[in-house]
Amino acid sequence: MERKKTKSRREFINSSMRFGMVLALGGIGGLALRSSTKDQWVWQIDPFKCSWCGRCATNCVLNPSAVKCVHAYELCGYCDLCGGYLIPGHSDRSTAAENQLCPTAAIERKFIEEPYYEYKINEDLCIGCAKCAEGCSAFGNGSLYLQIMHHLCVNCNECAIARACPSDAIKRVKGSEPYLMKGDFTADGGET
Amino acid sequence: MKRKWPVILIVLLSAAVIITVIVTEHTSTLPGRRPPNPFAYDVDEFRSVDPGMIRWKEARQVELDTHTPRAIAYTDGKIYLAADNELQMIGSDWSRMMRRILPGAPTCLAVAQDGRIIAGMGNHLVLLNSDGETIAESETLAGESNITSVAILGDNIYAADAPGRRVLVFNRELELIDEFRGDSGVSEIHGFIVPDAHFSLAVNPENELWITNPGIHALQNYTPSGRLRSYIQRTSFTLEGFSGCCNPVHFTFLPDGRFVTSEKGIIRIKVMRESGETESVVAPSELFAGGTRAPAVVVDNDGNVLALDFDRNMIRIFEPI
Repeated sequence: MERKKTKSRREFINSSMRFGMVLALGGIGGLALRSSTKDQWVWQIDPFKCSWCGRCATNCVLNPSAVKCVHAYELCGYCDLCGGYLIPGHSDRSTAAENQLCPTAAIERKFIEEPYYEYKINEDLCIGCAKCAEGCSAFGNGSLYLQIMHHLCVNCNECAIARACPSDAIKRVKGSEPYLMKGDFTADGGET
Repeated sequence: MKRKWPVILIVLLSAAVIITVIVTEHTSTLPGRRPPNPFAYDVDEFRSVDPGMIRWKEARQVELDTHTPRAIAYTDGKIYLAADNELQMIGSDWSRMMRRILPGAPTCLAVAQDGRIIAGMGNHLVLLNSDGETIAESETLAGESNITSVAILGDNIYAADAPGRRVLVFNRELELIDEFRGDSGVSEIHGFIVPDAHFSLAVNPENELWITNPGIHALQNYTPSGRLRSYIQRTSFTLEGFSGCCNPVHFTFLPDGRFVTSEKGIIRIKVMRESGETESVVAPSELFAGGTRAPAVVVDNDGNVLALDFDRNMIRIFEPI
């Protein structure tokens, strides 16, 4: 009579170990595959939450900051008396330095036709201080606002300006949609 | 003596740790301990008002049981309030006389002497009877339109379309019969410049149609057919004029024809003479601290200014001193 083959305890432990290692390797491989194919997450400013505190200019690990002002041309009124360009109480609506609100003269003003002017941000000069964004939001229509520029941002694991932001305006967004542009979505999160 | 050294070392180390903690705490940027914003947009010097100019006092605040107030109108002892998706009529004793759900979110209101109500609904108008029942609706305006203010003059209804930078003229059946863009033909007076969703019009006690031109800080008087008759233009961060690119946001008239204007940026309500000089301040900006929106204004039968404070969700009543 053939005796039924039984596993010894040693054989059972060995086979269990082999099975466990195969399972672990498979898991690690799966995780690696998943992280290589999933969306990368990046930091971005929600312009509807931004309170223009100035910390984007001072707290970013980069100097000058990776945060820059952007301009929603489709929202802009192209006004001669722009609240984001002119200093409060300006003596004249001209490009003279004493009339400009921006501390680095990063906003360029160009005459279009009476009484319209186009405003462009010189990104190399902008330090992300939000002074123009605050003036535009208070007196104008908020077409100037801040965004983290991803060709500059080093995507720190813990973003220094997100940590310092008093209004919790900086959040992780998908790398495939790295900018929160006004006009693409509204204050309540809906798409326009 | 030899035994005291460890004790001294521990004391010194403890002192160093305590001093480090105190200094770190003092210089930390935790909330409440952060340094002031070196790039602050500062308009405080323009907020202060000569106390002699404040000739109105806040007599009452009435909190609203709504989520989002949108517009206010006043006729014949009754307040008409558009809030959320509904219309309310409030009596002089602040009791609610009527509450009706509207077919959408209203953007502005006007009430005729016969009690009929015109509600701007963004891209169209709705005509309601005095019970709030819909009588007629205009056709939906083509393209990007947003009716931000409406007024009744004679047989016509005038509606300000902010994105279109135009004033639309409807008849009493809400048929669109005309429009004008404020072009005067005079080079220094431009047509309507409306940088944001604030474009207001009102009819004064002399039955004259006045319309804001916020892009040039002007109040302009038009004939019923849309021809510019006269204007007041004042640019200043001080009380003497309007600041920013979108002021005045709202305006109405006192019974004697003086303007009551409401501004954003430096949020304030003031009275201007018909000639354009600022006469007095109804509410200085300190009364709207922390706010972001200019209140809508109406004047009641007693000459009090009623301000719809969107930020605080209340009606604030200002009486002349």
